[in-house]
Amino acid sequence: MNTSFRKIVRALASMKLAVVVLLSIAAITAAGTIVEAHFNDAQAASALVYRTPMMFLIMGLLSVNLIAVMIDRLPWKKKHLPFLFAHVGILVLLIGSLVTMKYGLDGSMRFGIGESNRFVVVPSADLQVWASYDGDRYTKLAEQAVDFLKNSPKEKPFKMSLDQGELEVLDFEPYMIPNRQIVASSAPKSGSAIRFQLQNGKANINEWLLQTKQNATVENTFGLAHISLGPIPAILPQENALFLNPIDETRIQYVLAYKDPKRKALRGVVQENQFFQTGWMGLEFKLLRYFPKAQESYEFKKLEASTPLTTSAIQISFKNQKHWVQLNDVLKIFTDSAAYLVSFGNRRIDLGFDLHLKKFEVGRYQGTARAASYQSLVTTPDNQETLISMNEPLKYQGLTFYQASFQEGPNQEAIASILSVNYDPGRWIKYLGCLIIVSGIMLLFYNRRKSSRAQAPGQGQI
Amino acid sequence: MNKKMKMKTKMKCHFSKSAFALPFLFFSFFSGVSQAADLSQSLQALPVQDGGRLKPFDSFARESLQLIYGKQEFKAENSNGAARPATEIVMTWMLQPAAWQETPLFEIKYALLKKALKLPEEKKYLSFSELSSNERLPTVMQELQSKRETKEKLDPYFQSLQRLENQIFTFREIASGHMLRLVPPPKLQDKPSETWISLADLKPELQEKFLDVTKAFIQVLGVSTAETSIEKSKEAEMALGNAVARFKQAAKAENSELYPSETQMNAELHYNHFHPFKWAWIVYLLAAISCFLAWILGRHIFYTLAWELTAVGFLIHIYGFALRVYLTGRPPVSNMYETVVWVAFGVVLFSMIIEYLYRWRFVLLAGALVGAFCLALADMAPLILDPSLQPLEPVLRNNFWLLIHVLTITISYAAFFLAFALGDIGLIYFLKGESENKEKIKAITLATYRSIQIGVALLTPGIILGGVWADYSWGRFWGWDPKETWALIVLLGYLAVLHGRLVGLLRDFGMIVASVISFTTVIMAWYGVNFILGAGLHSYGFGAGGVEYVAVFVAIHLLFVIFTSVIRFGRLKNPKV
Repeated sequence: MNTSFRKIVRALASMKLAVVVLLSIAAITAAGTIVEAHFNDAQAASALVYRTPMMFLIMGLLSVNLIAVMIDRLPWKKKHLPFLFAHVGILVLLIGSLVTMKYGLDGSMRFGIGESNRFVVVPSADLQVWASYDGDRYTKLAEQAVDFLKNSPKEKPFKMSLDQGELEVLDFEPYMIPNRQIVASSAPKSGSAIRFQLQNGKANINEWLLQTKQNATVENTFGLAHISLGPIPAILPQENALFLNPIDETRIQYVLAYKDPKRKALRGVVQENQFFQTGWMGLEFKLLRYFPKAQESYEFKKLEASTPLTTSAIQISFKNQKHWVQLNDVLKIFTDSAAYLVSFGNRRIDLGFDLHLKKFEVGRYQGTARAASYQSLVTTPDNQETLISMNEPLKYQGLTFYQASFQEGPNQEAIASILSVNYDPGRWIKYLGCLIIVSGIMLLFYNRRKSSRAQAPGQGQI
Repeated sequence: MNKKMKMKTKMKCHFSKSAFALPFLFFSFFSGVSQAADLSQSLQALPVQDGGRLKPFDSFARESLQLIYGKQEFKAENSNGAARPATEIVMTWMLQPAAWQETPLFEIKYALLKKALKLPEEKKYLSFSELSSNERLPTVMQELQSKRETKEKLDPYFQSLQRLENQIFTFREIASGHMLRLVPPPKLQDKPSETWISLADLKPELQEKFLDVTKAFIQVLGVSTAETSIEKSKEAEMALGNAVARFKQAAKAENSELYPSETQMNAELHYNHFHPFKWAWIVYLLAAISCFLAWILGRHIFYTLAWELTAVGFLIHIYGFALRVYLTGRPPVSNMYETVVWVAFGVVLFSMIIEYLYRWRFVLLAGALVGAFCLALADMAPLILDPSLQPLEPVLRNNFWLLIHVLTITISYAAFFLAFALGDIGLIYFLKGESENKEKIKAITLATYRSIQIGVALLTPGIILGGVWADYSWGRFWGWDPKETWALIVLLGYLAVLHGRLVGLLRDFGMIVASVISFTTVIMAWYGVNFILGAGLHSYGFGAGGVEYVAVFVAIHLLFVIFTSVIRFGRLKNPKV
């Protein structure tokens, strides 16, 4: 080996460098935990600390140092064995982590009881733009992976060119509390919206109904009453139902249908702040607000840190109009000749098969609402049923499905199960690395024990 | 070197007669204490469903009183009388809630909360009527509610407010008989339920039986306060015992499958009364003092005594542990309190091993000191370190990996704690004079080095096992969760120390200093992540409080290190001074 190479190796193998690297990793990751605590958000720590060039650089330096020190000790003797094991083990572990990061999949999957799902949602987000020129068929214009936490559009706006101009992302806020509102719209194709009150001595319902587009039907069931906004059907159903259809800028036509076949349907016209009796259990209908053209709009409240209610949101500018869009939502933009859908959402990965949630159970600690255990009974395409519970995952087609959490309905009954889905080609490499490290430590102690007694001051000598 | 110290130490002789006499003495003393403890044993052992498990009435009463009053016994302000046990207090809440209206009972600790409620700062306890008439309380509670609606993390102010809300709720619900669930639900085929029936909802005939219990209880109370004959009080107690037995029988008849065994309730009662960890720390402290005397005076008898005391303390410690494992049916390492107890166990164990190998005296001293310190801390700060027996979070249940992973990591902290205590002793020697104590400093450095080695050798597999568990339960080996990251930081720190020592970057002084300073990372990983950072997946171990004490503890040690360093460098520069 030539001497200058030896010199370089020696420099890279220096113990001082090793100590500096160890302490730097400690310092950087400590900062990461503080970032995470500050934002209450593991993703932020990942984007700002753990997956930064700085971190990769320091890990690279560690690897170089580990390799160099092993080369420096050439030719190896038997006494070097524990040292080699420990150091090779760390390198193997790092390689395994790299493989996982590059080729692994770590996402989650939610399904209601009795439902199927084939998509895994992963943390990375995409921005997609779809356009329609006839109002019906949409074609995808653009799609791009985005990480606004890392590359904030505040400093450098993110741009995407479309056929009718440039779409810009001006701002990104990671922790927003969305508040849904219905506002008047100027777009020609927007649907109508009403806000109404249904009231009797016992109940008081205040709700919005918003058509997705002109002449679309939107319906909802509020308790016993079924209410629909849109064209009135020619044949009325035999149930308690109220059909509302906008006539013009101020008036709405209504038809009341009854379950009782003897009762005749009632017809009429209603305007803002007018009311009529429905004839269902004394319920009175009052039209509180009417927008002939309306759209959904979100008002956002910015928070400093993540809470279970916050979501991230971006501000989009297109044709001199600015809109906020929250994560996993779709924004509609209308121009004179086209309609655009801008979707900002987590990437969904198709598993290629359906997983069906047959049953979900929660065990609680006696006399409390505290969950003691929970489990999902799922059916795989080969019609096999598997019970997935905490610490008992399902392995299927190279993927592993773990019971992660569940969602509760208003009465604390479980309504949906959330699995975490994982594919990790680096797993065995990491385990191998760990095995090597631990063997190294065991060897080290075995060797040390033989030589340590000699250097210790004797019993009772001091 | 001290010639007396050089005296031959025939360790074999420490199996003297006293070695056997001593533990026996202690145990007979304890059993005496636990027997005389209380008047109303039978009532205390009455099974209650609370907090997701079945517990004796005594535990229920202690936990409730602890929550509301901050202590497990009640002593009225400005009274010289003896403290009254929790069972008695909680029973009287139910029997005569009105009598408690004016008693200062509700503990409020947080200064900012007192300010928000416009209370004088020196006021420690509030009465129920003071609370209900407080003008600010509704507004402040509203704040808490809106904070909850946005699901934001609660800061210490809101946490203490939440505690107050809990205190009021618990008091009301106990007084109204809704919280005390005494009878298992009847067995129904179509609607199986595990929720026990509260006192307020009991069937009339059962309610009547409980009324008999309360009558008998009042009799016992009356007899014990009035100065009557022993026979009379025994009689009243018998009556209470019989009334409780009749009630139990009737309750069990409702659904015997759900009713717990008497052994279990009595075991928990014994655990409550005996306070194994309290005795363990007292004995450890005595051991440390004895060890200190042996070390200073060089008298061998003290050293023997120190070994014996440590062994006795260790046995009590193990006994307490075993009881807790029996009661919870799981390894006791699921919250801060339990890990503190476990770490104390590790420190004493390691110190005994190293002491047995080298017989340097100060290792046992350090071990006994840290053991006593940890257990005393666990015993005296129930608000921060919750000693109650709690059911486990789902992810922690029935898991082999949990057991191995948590036990290994926390026991490695024990080794680092020992190194830290040894480092402190080392610093004292550096202050006393480096050249005069060369041998001792060498020995201490070596002991420190050994402890750190043990720690690293346990922490590395511990972290790896944590990864294996995470992979097994969640499908990811490493996710930069704060708890695991801090465990890694601890490892990196101590690896840097070991490597530094290996090539001579750290000499004796450096090693001693490093063992003290590096322990800061352990404090952060062990306590700080849960109590300061409060983020991440390990949230089931989270708590609040005590930050200021821990900060002072750390600051004192850092100052001690700086002080010693300055003195030492001064001496090195001017060797004659």
